[in-house]
Amino acid sequence: MNAHEMFEAILLAGIVASCWIGVFGMLRMRNPTEALHYLSLPASFGSTLLVIAVFVHTGSSLAAWMTLFICLVLLSINSVVTYATARAFRTREKGYWRLLASTDGAEFVPHERNS
Amino acid sequence: MNLWLAACVGISLTLVPCAFMCLRGSSERRLVGFEMTSLLLTLLLVALTIGFGRQPFIDIALAVAIFTYSGGLIYARSMEKHL
Repeated sequence: MNAHEMFEAILLAGIVASCWIGVFGMLRMRNPTEALHYLSLPASFGSTLLVIAVFVHTGSSLAAWMTLFICLVLLSINSVVTYATARAFRTREKGYWRLLASTDGAEFVPHERNS
Repeated sequence: MNLWLAACVGISLTLVPCAFMCLRGSSERRLVGFEMTSLLLTLLLVALTIGFGRQPFIDIALAVAIFTYSGGLIYARSMEKHL
């Protein structure tokens, strides 16, 4: 195994490790909102390592640039989906709620639907 | 078996705990399991594409990434009040 393949193996091991750590963290967390945080590990760390590994393996190929695009899609959509999911959990828990104008934007409070 | 296919085995084994999470527990936990599954599936498809040397198949990974995340978004939105 030469240095090129060794570097590729390290990157692939990092990808697999990030996936396993993310899955174990997700399983360990009791609260779904806490479990949601572990999505970011494979989405950011794993996909970035995957892009580097594909560029190392294939060079500047169409597959490598497509993998970079997939990585950007994962990074951008994952944050949106995570926010929307956490918001859905909060709404489901509290009922209808909105941000009070008097607060500094950090605190949401439950609010009656008809008021 | 090359390095990429070995990595595919490692990634695909993570789908087992995800399936466990999707099939048990509250609706919220199932949704988190589904989103993790879609993410891991995208990474797995990219690794399979490179492992088998079929580079045009990377379009499938892109389609899966876009459509499964959109599905998760719609599911989360409907979960707020309806599920």
